[in-house]
This record gives sequence, C-alpha cells and structure tokens, in this order.
Amino acid sequence: MINLSLKRVTSVWIIAILVVFVITAIFGITMRFNQGGDIELSPVTFFSLMTAHGVTMVGIWSVAGMMAVNYLMARYVKVSTAVNVFALVLTVIGLVMLWTSTFVGYFHAGWTFLYPLPFFVAWESWATPLFLYSIAIFGIGWTVWTVAMLMQIYKKYSLAQSFAWQHFKRGYLVETPPFILITTVSLIGILICLITAVILLVLLFAEYYSNGTFTNDALLIKNLTYFFGHTIINEALYLGVATLYELFPEVSGRPKFKTTWYVALAWNCTLVFVLTAFFHHLYMDFVQPVGLQLVGQFASYFASLPSAAVTVFSIVILVYKNPIKWSLTNTLFFIGVIGWIIGGFGAVIDATISNNFVLHNTLWVPAHFHTYNAMGNVLFSLAFFYWVANEFAGTKVVPRSEKLRIGLLLIGGFGFVLMFYIAGAYSIPRRYSVYPDELALGRNLASYGGWFATIYVIAILLFLGEIVNKCLKVFSPRSSAAA
Amino acid sequence: MSLQPKLLLIFLFTAGAIAITAWFIYSTSKLSSQEHGGMENPLRKRFTAFIILFALSAVFLSITIPKSPYFRFSGENPSHVVFIAAKQYNFIMSNQAIDPKKPGGGEDIVIPADELVEFRVTSLDVNHGFGIYDSRGEIVAQTQAMPGYVNRLRWRFITPGHYNIFCLEYCGNAHSFMRGSLTVTEAAAEK
Repeated sequence: MINLSLKRVTSVWIIAILVVFVITAIFGITMRFNQGGDIELSPVTFFSLMTAHGVTMVGIWSVAGMMAVNYLMARYVKVSTAVNVFALVLTVIGLVMLWTSTFVGYFHAGWTFLYPLPFFVAWESWATPLFLYSIAIFGIGWTVWTVAMLMQIYKKYSLAQSFAWQHFKRGYLVETPPFILITTVSLIGILICLITAVILLVLLFAEYYSNGTFTNDALLIKNLTYFFGHTIINEALYLGVATLYELFPEVSGRPKFKTTWYVALAWNCTLVFVLTAFFHHLYMDFVQPVGLQLVGQFASYFASLPSAAVTVFSIVILVYKNPIKWSLTNTLFFIGVIGWIIGGFGAVIDATISNNFVLHNTLWVPAHFHTYNAMGNVLFSLAFFYWVANEFAGTKVVPRSEKLRIGLLLIGGFGFVLMFYIAGAYSIPRRYSVYPDELALGRNLASYGGWFATIYVIAILLFLGEIVNKCLKVFSPRSSAAA
Repeated sequence: MSLQPKLLLIFLFTAGAIAITAWFIYSTSKLSSQEHGGMENPLRKRFTAFIILFALSAVFLSITIPKSPYFRFSGENPSHVVFIAAKQYNFIMSNQAIDPKKPGGGEDIVIPADELVEFRVTSLDVNHGFGIYDSRGEIVAQTQAMPGYVNRLRWRFITPGHYNIFCLEYCGNAHSFMRGSLTVTEAAAEK
C-alpha cells in the first residue's frame, strides 16, 4: 500500500536525484568544453571530474530505478519504508565520501577504478581508501534494499511464480504481472552484481592492507570490475523498463500488459544474457580465453532480442492506430524506448568483436551508453518522476512548455550523442583531457557536444522546477491531515 | 572506405529508420479516433519480428566472428616480432625481448609492408591500450597492455608510412599524452 511515508521518501529521492543529476551533467559538459579547448582545466581536475561524473551517474540512475520500482511495488506487496530511508541515508553518505575523495583528495582513477590504477597513487594517499569505502557504503545500502524488496516479493509469490514459470503451462492459477517479473529479474541481477562488487572490494582491500605481501591478478579483477559495472547499469535500465510496463498502458488509457509464455521466456533469457554480455569489455585482452570472448558476442546479440522483440513490439501494438491519451509521461516513455533501441543498436555494433578491434575505447563507447542512458533510462525515470509528482500534487495540468521541453530534450540529447558517434567513427579516443594535433577533429566535436548537452540540461531544468514543486506538496500539513 | 565510416553510415541509416518508424507509429495514434483500431494479428507479427531479428543476428554472428582478431593470421608464422612494454606514460618498443627489471629506453621500430608482424604487448605498471593509428588518424589495430600478461597482436601493414601509437586505456592524469610511433617501409625496399 502506498502511504504518506512512502510518498515522502520517494519525493526526497526524486529531488535529490534530479539536483545531483544536473550538477553531475555539468561536470560532463565542463569536460567536453575542456576537450574542445573552450576552457582550460588541469588534467587532474579533468580526471577528478570524470571519476565523479561516472560513479555518480551510474549510482543515481541505479537508485532511481530501484526507488521507482519500490514505489510501484507497493501496489502488489508490502514494502519497507525504513529500508528505503536506510538506503537513501547510505547513498547520501556514500556520495559525500565519493565527492570528498575526488574533489578534496583528487582521486581520479575513473569510475571503473581499474586495478591496479587506484594503487598508483597520484593524489592524496587517503583518497584511495575513502573512494573504495564510498563504493562499499553504496553497496551496503543497495544490497540491503535489494534483498528487502526481493523478500517482500517472495512473501507473496513463490520463486517459480516470481519468474512467471507457471506461464509456460496451461491452466495456471496465479498470474505474475509483468512488473513483478521484470523487477524480480532485474533485482536478482543487481544482487549478483553487488555480491561481485563485495568480492572485488575485498580483494582490493586485501592488497591495500597487505603491505605488499598480496597482489591481485589484473585479468581476474578486470573481469570482476566489468561484471559489476556493466551489469548494474544494464539492470538499472531494466528497472526503468519495469516502470514502463506498469505505467505506459495506465497513463495511455489502454488495458494493462499481460504476462504470456513468451514474455516470461524473454525476461528469463534476458537475465542469463545480461549476466554474460560483460565479456565484450575484454575483447582486446587477447589472453582472455577465446570461448569467453565468443560468449560475450553471442550474449550481447541475444540480450537485445527479448527487449527488441517483446517490449518494443508491445509498445508498438499498444500505440499503432490506437487513440492514446498522450501526456508528458507516456511521451517521455515513448522517446525513451526510441533512445533505448538506437543506443542498443550502437552497442551491438561495438559488441561485434571485429568492429570492436577499431572502436574499443574510442568515443563510440560513451556514444552508445549515453544514448540508452540519457535518452533511454533517464527518460524512463523522468516519466515516472513526472507521473508521481502529479499524483502527489493531485493535478494533471498540462504545462505550456510541453513542446518546448520535448523539443529541447530531443535536439540536445540526440545532438550530444551524435557528436560522440562521429568522433568514435573517426577514432577519437575516450577519456582524453585534450586531443593531440593528429586528432584535432575531436576538439570541434567535443565543443559542439558540450553545447548540445547544455540544451539537454536546460530541458531537464524545466522539468526539475515543476517536479520539485509538486513533490514538496507531500510535506504540506494538508497531506498529513489527508493521511 | 575503411570499416569505421561504413559502421557510422550503417548506424545513422538504422537510427534514422527507427526514428521515422517511431514517428509514423506515433502519428497513427494521434490521427486515430477509432477504438479497437489497432494492429491486425499483432501476436503473429511480433513472432515474425522475433524470427527475423533472430535470423539477422545469426547471419551477422556467422559473418563477423571469423573476422575476429583472434583468428586472423592465426595459421601463419610472423616474420617480425616487436616487444612492447607500456609504462606510465610511454611505450618502450624493441626488436629484442624487454627485461621488466631493466626495461631500457627501447628503439625505433621499422617494419616492412606486407609482412606479418607480431606485437607482444605487456605493461610494467597499470593497464594501458596499444592503439596503432595510420597517417589519416584512423585506428588500424589495437590490443590492451595488462600487467602480468602478454597480449599477442598480429598485423600485416599494407601502406608504408608513419604510424602513431596512442594509449587506449585510461592510465592516469597524463594518459592523453602517452604515445609512440613506428615506421612501415616499402615492401620491395626491404626485400
């Protein structure tokens, strides 16, 4: 049941996520303008910004998905507000520690903190353990939250029902809603990633505190790092898809999606493929067994099939020639689906080993993941924020700037990622603070990308003002009285 | 045309097609006033779409996997071996094996065109990337440099000239300045 305390903690999450998102997006824009030569930062400042930008973005959009499914899950099962608040507090503490390590301690090993770089200290010596502890704090909060949500699901549904296995047979008694199925699959994926993160951190701390008596294996740590990093951001996207399944038909005035045998099969397969696709991050490590490299390409291809064939086609069926009640909420979901497919196609190109040979660690990589995050997952979450803010405020007034906001999002978002794609195709490397003269094209593209991203952030700010204002209404005395 | 611009064109064409299709579907909804209009036989069409996507994936997998760098030149013996030890923030390159305890300064690398060369790439500190760029600033081949491991990259240069090496794995605050170079000479001149 959705009660006032759940509404309040959800409001705090939304306001915090949007504010931190704008600040962190400005970090990214600053980096693009530095690459473009419009401003001049020291390399240390640039890479500190890069590290904070990466970890923060992955973190806030993971918790945005978890917060949204936590809210909607209250329609089906009981949810714990206390655990929700616990996760919020630990996320804030973790963020303060993270930004202290990057902006006071100048830690700048990147969001992947790829071993052994964190131990080649080029910053304050305390910044390395502080950064690693910030990741541990995030991990504790999110693991407890994930386990708590899964436990609530299993109080109502059996393990088989949570995966909708009964839909493979005829005559089943309990129907698993698509929202529960996708949330279960995603949360289990997230839990596996977080357990991997624990193993990763234990190994890194073991070396850090061993005084040189213990050394890790670089290939093993790289596999663990990408298993955790790649998978968590993919699962975060699927949490956004779960909210889409729940809300898109509802706000469109159409019947709810139903779980069928092939929807169940598709999402069960997705869990397996998403957990094995990370191998594509290691294609250029030729010492990795070739069999695992091929698993990476197969899983990357087939992870996109269930989503493309089932989810996207479900949206197409719902929209095509049907009189939809279009609002900002379902428009954002619809654009998010387009961004997701386009970004997914860019990812499949890069996940092809023979293409990766010339695209690996070029700007093609941030191109595709910014497409399915900034123009996919962020829009799924923004759609939820907008919908729930209107629920809190009890109003559905259509803002006058509706078309302006969507126009700015489309121009800014797709213009921003297009500059990355062109740069990637011209072999411009990622994670360069400045470009050498031989790769001078990267400077112009970075500058244009910075301006497009600025337009995107202006669109987000137009949403932020209205959403924050409406979210604050749950703290008014009238809300307390109504509760 | 090399591979990268082809991939960009394929991507832009497909992204454009997706955007136009989405706009068309959105327009049909905007114009529709008829309840229960919708798509005819949607489940059958979804199944057909799934089969087409599955078949396309299988075709692309079967075409692209044999072109993976692990299989190219795997049945041949390289006529030249170049040893690479990456270190913050330069590439030590030598025609002789490099002692990790006394890596030295390396030497100029000159390779004849049309001959198979094997780069044995490792790192003496953190992870680096060994990216070979041609004179147009385009990547021709790459591998990672990982501490404790040696990646063997085989390549046959076709075009003589100057090739830059740029680091393609973030390795610290001077990552953007980590570079090296090699020269590829005319094949006939070597023979």
